[in-house]
Amino acid sequence: MTGSWRRTAARFLGDRAALMGASLILLLVLAAVFAPLLSPFPADVAEFHTANRLRPPDGVNWLGTDRMGSDLLSRILFGARITISIALIAVGSAVLLGVPVGLVAGYYGGWPSDLLMRVSDIFLAVPQIVLAIAIAQTLGPSIENVILALSITYWPFWARLVYAETRSIKNEVFVESAIALGASSLRVMAMHILPNIASAIIVRTSIGMGATILTAAALGFLGLGAPPPAPEWGRMIAESREFLPEAWWYATAPGIAIFMVVMGFNLLGDGLRDILDPRIRRAVGRHA
Amino acid sequence: MPELLAVEDLSLGFRTDAGLARVLDGVNLAIQPGQIMGLVGESGCGKTTLARTVLGILPRHAALIERGRIRFERSDLLSADDTTLNDQVRGKAITFIPQDPFTSFNPVFPIGTQMMEIMRWKSPRRAQDGGHNTRARRAADRDAVLAMLDAVQLPQPRQVLAKYPHEVSGGQRQRLMIAMALLPEPRLVIADEPTTALDVTIQAQILKLLRRLATERGVAVLLTTHDLGTAYEICDAITVMYAGQEVEAAPTDAFFRHPAHPYTARLLASLPRADGKVLGIPGEVPNLLAPPAGCRFHPRCERAEPACSRSRPPVTLPGQGHAVRCYHPQA
Amino acid sequence: MRRLEMVLSRLAWFFPTMAGLIVIVFLISNVIPTDPVRIVAGENATPEQVAALRVKLGYDKPIAIQLLNHFRDVLSGNLGVSIYTQRPISEDLAKRLPATLELSITALSLAILLGIPLGVVSALRRNAWIDQVLRVISVSGLAIAAFWLAMELQFLFSMKLRVAPLNGRIDGFGPEPYTGFYVLDSLIGRDWESLGSALSHLALPALTLALPAAATILRFARAGVLEVINSNHVLYQRAMGIPPRLIVWKYVLRNALISTVTQIGLIFGVLLTNAVVIETVFDWPGLGSFAVQSILQSDHKAIIGFTIWTGGLIVVVNLLVDLLHSVIDPRGAR
Repeated sequence: MTGSWRRTAARFLGDRAALMGASLILLLVLAAVFAPLLSPFPADVAEFHTANRLRPPDGVNWLGTDRMGSDLLSRILFGARITISIALIAVGSAVLLGVPVGLVAGYYGGWPSDLLMRVSDIFLAVPQIVLAIAIAQTLGPSIENVILALSITYWPFWARLVYAETRSIKNEVFVESAIALGASSLRVMAMHILPNIASAIIVRTSIGMGATILTAAALGFLGLGAPPPAPEWGRMIAESREFLPEAWWYATAPGIAIFMVVMGFNLLGDGLRDILDPRIRRAVGRHA
Repeated sequence: MPELLAVEDLSLGFRTDAGLARVLDGVNLAIQPGQIMGLVGESGCGKTTLARTVLGILPRHAALIERGRIRFERSDLLSADDTTLNDQVRGKAITFIPQDPFTSFNPVFPIGTQMMEIMRWKSPRRAQDGGHNTRARRAADRDAVLAMLDAVQLPQPRQVLAKYPHEVSGGQRQRLMIAMALLPEPRLVIADEPTTALDVTIQAQILKLLRRLATERGVAVLLTTHDLGTAYEICDAITVMYAGQEVEAAPTDAFFRHPAHPYTARLLASLPRADGKVLGIPGEVPNLLAPPAGCRFHPRCERAEPACSRSRPPVTLPGQGHAVRCYHPQA
Repeated sequence: MRRLEMVLSRLAWFFPTMAGLIVIVFLISNVIPTDPVRIVAGENATPEQVAALRVKLGYDKPIAIQLLNHFRDVLSGNLGVSIYTQRPISEDLAKRLPATLELSITALSLAILLGIPLGVVSALRRNAWIDQVLRVISVSGLAIAAFWLAMELQFLFSMKLRVAPLNGRIDGFGPEPYTGFYVLDSLIGRDWESLGSALSHLALPALTLALPAAATILRFARAGVLEVINSNHVLYQRAMGIPPRLIVWKYVLRNALISTVTQIGLIFGVLLTNAVVIETVFDWPGLGSFAVQSILQSDHKAIIGFTIWTGGLIVVVNLLVDLLHSVIDPRGAR
């Protein structure tokens, strides 16, 4: 087991895409954690200096200032906190809800699980953003409600994925022999199936984080995210619209921030997919 | 008589992550016009690689040809440029019957489309009208296809052409492959283990069909196989390879009556005998990343002596058309 | 006959899916703790007025009865009246559907025309510089926020270079309406001025939507080609001296197309998602901007109507994809 982990780690370090993705995510985490230290003007998140409004990038405000005269770099660094908490909590709860549902449905089968999967199919038939917008709107604009809306609309993705994976390995020899040896259903699911589908979940989670950040930013852009003056990236882009084309830097900075973070998760997901190849995964499962 | 095909001193390796795998090491092989030559060896001995080298379809980046020549009629195939080979040799003078008729058809095109594609580029009537695919030529080609399907004993040829590959049986697909190999009127057909993927009951039929049609048309065949029984039934002559070296070549009769190389003897002894016993060959096939020097069989050979690991034995001729590469061949 | 069977089973599945969609949308909109009646009545309504309106709109009945009524209304095409436009919602949606379809079909075609050839080239030149460049572009295409890309394209092409209109669907009154698709209508009516205007307005939003879709298609096409390029049938055709170009662009491409087609449904879903936000940025009078407006106006019934229509659209597209797949893949059912 240790050997296989070491090999995985070595392949990870050898994969440029995964490494670059991980670095971008590390950058996001560092920005979020050390935002108060890194920001040139940490107070600007809540304070206005209307005399300084809409200044292009210079030696003082590296990324320029916004319509309230606040330093954009500082706001973007603090915005990383919002982005990371939305992505982590929303995807986390969608995974916590979707994975057990998919696991149980895939393991037991029968009409209840068919029904469950049809329901998730229907969820998937509606664009995620539409349901999320509807929920976020009726609940009122706040970070909590955005997170709630995203988790409610996102869990079927994981239920579907885990269901399919569980179905495909349920009849493998190592699962059947565990059942034959008298392991309880709970034990079989937790100790034999889950570890073998974990890498598929990890890969999708990484890519799902990127997609969730994009959706959350779109909600913010439509005015359904954290209320002002929260430095939410999507909202910042929406605010900048009326100042185009003069204040070109205003939209550019948060847009690139979103791009880099989503790129980070996508690259990491791609890299992990290559590294945790399903065939290798299965082979490991048989020896375990 | 000049050979139709002569492979001379061919050495070739594949680049792998672990280094260069020396798959062919100074191989020689000769086929006379109209001759059916069996190329026999265990899997991994390089016979498929040799067949693909003659066809020029090895992966371009991975394969490294170190030395040697492949003469076909008057030209050297290794130094010819790829466009010329595609136009004049591949699918025309030399055609191919693949190992697995199940996967060698494109699954999403009808059989007729795939056969007519070959005729469009490789029809013997192509030269007559300056290469143009005229209506008259297409009609003539189609007649030729139907006649050939008849010759390979496919029932209902017209219906078969409209079918998709998955709608016909494995034996029928291999009959189609034989038809496609003969339609361009080649001088040489390379058949790479053409019956391995088929049911045992069909194998003999397909081989006999191939032998009969090739003999009738005077086409030479290079048939690779790991099965000496197959070779015995249909080949005029046999060349045996071991780990990328040819060890013995002889007319079929002489080969089975007087095997001269210790490996050949072992191979013959490992055929299932009347009493059902199978004698294995002790030892393992060598690692091609670091193959043994000299004769590659020497680590497994009971008659090996120091000379065997120093250099490869030269060719000796124990009989008419019989060549062996061993320092101490069996009498 | 297996193919016909599969088609029939897909068609049969359409109705339960739509029924389920209607139920789920209804439940979500009722579980959410807001009172639609209060919103309709307005802030100044007296409690009596609210109660009367509740009876009139049927919100006083048990939820099961409401659901049945809702079903009856939806099936008869009656989605209620929009609070904002005061017109029947189905009418509004029907008027806006062609705009969204024109935009998304253009974007999808653009994405296919870009994605498939580039995916094939990428696979053939695997790991060469062009493959690396295309990989970076396709990964980037999936990471850009669509609304931001829309704004940056507006900034560059409409504000700086002034080669494309900033927003809207057409200048003037538009062509004689035959189909509601402006490009088609102006072709039918030989209205060249409208055609030029329609195309120039279509350019930026279609490009915005096409980029992520093209990136996805490129990846699937590349994977599809790599899957067959080393297959035995390609090896056989090479061994038989079929021209390499023909092998790739006729035979390999067909196999790659089949694996890409199965993804079109998924891609169309993402396209519609992006269209919801993009239409707002470009002031495109389609379903998406209607949805955002309705949401911002708390137009409850309009949101339900929109959700059912888009859901239905995606279900129909998936159905079409399945049918198309069964036609171009002779192996039949997956």
